Amino acid sequence: MAAAASSEEAVKAAKVLMVGAGGIGCELLKTLALSGFSDIHIIDLDTIEVSNLNRQFLFRQSHVGQSKAKVARDAVLKFRPNINITPYHANVKDSKFNVEFFKQFNVVLNGLDNLDARRHVNRLCLAAEVPLVESGTTGFLGQVTVHVKGKTECYECQPKPVPKSYPVCTITSTPSKFVHCIVWAKDLLFAKLFGDRNQDNDLNVRSNDDSGSKTDVFERNVDEDLPQYAQRIYDHVFGYNIETALANEETWKNRKKPYPIYIRDALPEDAVQRNGSSRDHKNEEHEPSATVSLGLRNPQEIWSLADNSRVFLEALKLFFEKREKEIGNLIFDKDDQLAVEFVTAAANIRASSFGIPPHSLFEAKGVAGNIVHAVATTNAIIAGLIVIEAIKVLKGDYQNYRMTYCLEHPSRKMLLMPVEPFEPNKSCYVCSETPLVLEVNTKTTKLREVIDKVIKSKLGMNLPLVMVGATLVFEDGEGLEPDEAANYALNLEKVLAELPAPVVNDTKITVEDFQQELKCSINIKHRDEFDEEKEPDGMVLAGWSGPVDKQVNSNGDKRSVPSSSSADDIDSTAEDIPVKPGMKRKLNEILESQENFDALQNQSDVGSSSAQVVEDDDDDIVMLDEDPKQGKKKRLQ
Amino acid sequence: MSGGIARGRLAEERKAWRKNHPHGFVARPETLADGSANLMIWNCTIPGKQGTDWEGGYYPLTLHFSEDYPSKPPKCKFPQGFFHPNVYPSGTVCLSILNEDSGWRPAITVKQILVGIQDLLDQPNPADPAQTDGYHLFIQDPAEYKRRVRLQAKQYPALL
Repeated sequence: MAAAASSEEAVKAAKVLMVGAGGIGCELLKTLALSGFSDIHIIDLDTIEVSNLNRQFLFRQSHVGQSKAKVARDAVLKFRPNINITPYHANVKDSKFNVEFFKQFNVVLNGLDNLDARRHVNRLCLAAEVPLVESGTTGFLGQVTVHVKGKTECYECQPKPVPKSYPVCTITSTPSKFVHCIVWAKDLLFAKLFGDRNQDNDLNVRSNDDSGSKTDVFERNVDEDLPQYAQRIYDHVFGYNIETALANEETWKNRKKPYPIYIRDALPEDAVQRNGSSRDHKNEEHEPSATVSLGLRNPQEIWSLADNSRVFLEALKLFFEKREKEIGNLIFDKDDQLAVEFVTAAANIRASSFGIPPHSLFEAKGVAGNIVHAVATTNAIIAGLIVIEAIKVLKGDYQNYRMTYCLEHPSRKMLLMPVEPFEPNKSCYVCSETPLVLEVNTKTTKLREVIDKVIKSKLGMNLPLVMVGATLVFEDGEGLEPDEAANYALNLEKVLAELPAPVVNDTKITVEDFQQELKCSINIKHRDEFDEEKEPDGMVLAGWSGPVDKQVNSNGDKRSVPSSSSADDIDSTAEDIPVKPGMKRKLNEILESQENFDALQNQSDVGSSSAQVVEDDDDDIVMLDEDPKQGKKKRLQ
Repeated sequence: MSGGIARGRLAEERKAWRKNHPHGFVARPETLADGSANLMIWNCTIPGKQGTDWEGGYYPLTLHFSEDYPSKPPKCKFPQGFFHPNVYPSGTVCLSILNEDSGWRPAITVKQILVGIQDLLDQPNPADPAQTDGYHLFIQDPAEYKRRVRLQAKQYPALL
């Protein structure tokens, strides 16, 4: 990219892609438009929901149900009518947004809400060699990072914190926190009662261990009415199961014992009777709700054990009465009122068994839905920082790129913590190598030919493993079972497009050697015809500069690597950092001044700890990690 | 786009296993009918230790890796209903090194997982029961427990 003289020129000439038009996206589109950007493309697959309106200010109530990308465009065009905004109501992972699509942009700006899409965009930006400005917010926390191939680390150079999962044993037997009860209620009990009956579920479903009678207590008996069924389930999961667990004394040696709760204890006899009389309530036209039936209108209120028990019985009954068709297919959804009521009540009853303090419906919903409440101001700050970084990227001002972390409490008297970008991680699987490009006729060329003519003779591998994604299509060398070797021998004789994982135009294959420390990615380009004289192999490998010599790579002088490939058309001028296969510049080579280098040294501690805080997205879907000793937010898929 | 880090690590695990693995154990990516192998699911066999009641059994175990591997451990499953105090009715193994919150570390290899599970077979952990059947017999009726273990060993003979 040519370095533009001024910010205004750079902005005016730029064609940018925004991915995501949610919390960050709305702010970002507005700021881009007001900063003079005039060619903006937006992708978002979502439609507007009522819960977006408090912070996604380009949207109004009348827009609910419409495409975010399109409505955002219309809203901004009202105050900047002369700019071009191209909306796509689509998934960024759709194949139409391929490498060619990404190549038309000068920079890509992410305002996404999930790891999967972020990884996808990162990889496409690497493949298209388009700079990426990546962002996320979680409540008061936020970050903006810059990812430029060969200059800074890519989005995947550092492992990302993964959402917390809890060990089965803690959930099924020994909960110690409210969140454990919530996970039990939604992933085990709710799933067992209302979800797919065939899925794995470690909830104890047998009423006794008499061999032979393996009846599932969760099946409703033919002669059982709903209140009876609901009470039987209640007694089984909160009473019988706890008694069974108590029998195992070993477990409770160092733990507080739970106590079993039966419906007769939790609710006085008459209340049990009355509980079944919800049909008088005007519940028909609204979605069924146990709290409406029972008159528990304040979601902030903490219910008594009796209230929780009533909600449990009522919600279970309502599912069977009003939503019977969905039973067997339900998956917990934080926006499903009845499901949240059921899970809250069940979690609270279990919590009470285990001496864990109960929580209100509102709080329980937050825990169950992994909600961190979004803060509009954080989104606005982050959007501003994205534009600042985008302008630096457009000007080619790479000495001044910063990753910026927005903190909840000042650190070194700063709420916005700028950090110089890190150099690419040399062992990052995603960006550590420039993929090679192999032009080949995928319909007529056998795997054997590619292995012999390219992988062995050009890449110098002896015993290659060939993978397409996570699928192995070929392995060589010792340690193979006879049937595996036979399968691979068959694959050798197949043409690329007919391999078990088809290799066609745009497929990326990965090749590793069994013995050598060498990995390569090869992007396949299908071509029908080859010149017999000039291209006798019937295939052309581009981007390969001879075998990677580790010695040459580590001495810092990249240009001494012999370049044998004519297709390698990267122009290595003095300003350009050459990007060639297997070559990585250290950041300190890029940032040559001592001042920058010192700063880089200083911040490694900040960077690594802040990197953990890095979180997410514009929307409500981030998990609060309750572990106080870590005190950090984790990403939810 | 199938997982970068997980896939790369699994390719390494695969190579390491092919080069060297403990005697009697099997661990291989699931082979599909079409002649490909899926690195995300491994079919394994754990031999019962010699000199224990588990001897003679070759127990099938499946490792399910996720995109978050090796940040997260694989899910390890015996066949449904497998008889062992620390195996859930679904077959899922309950073991500290397979638990993200306690013993799991990304550096743990497939080999270490399988050897760890082999050790668990004859040394169940009564503090963390996962099934009623196996646990009760283990605590209350050692003779019957022994009989059941030996019976199960016969159900899983060597595959030749």
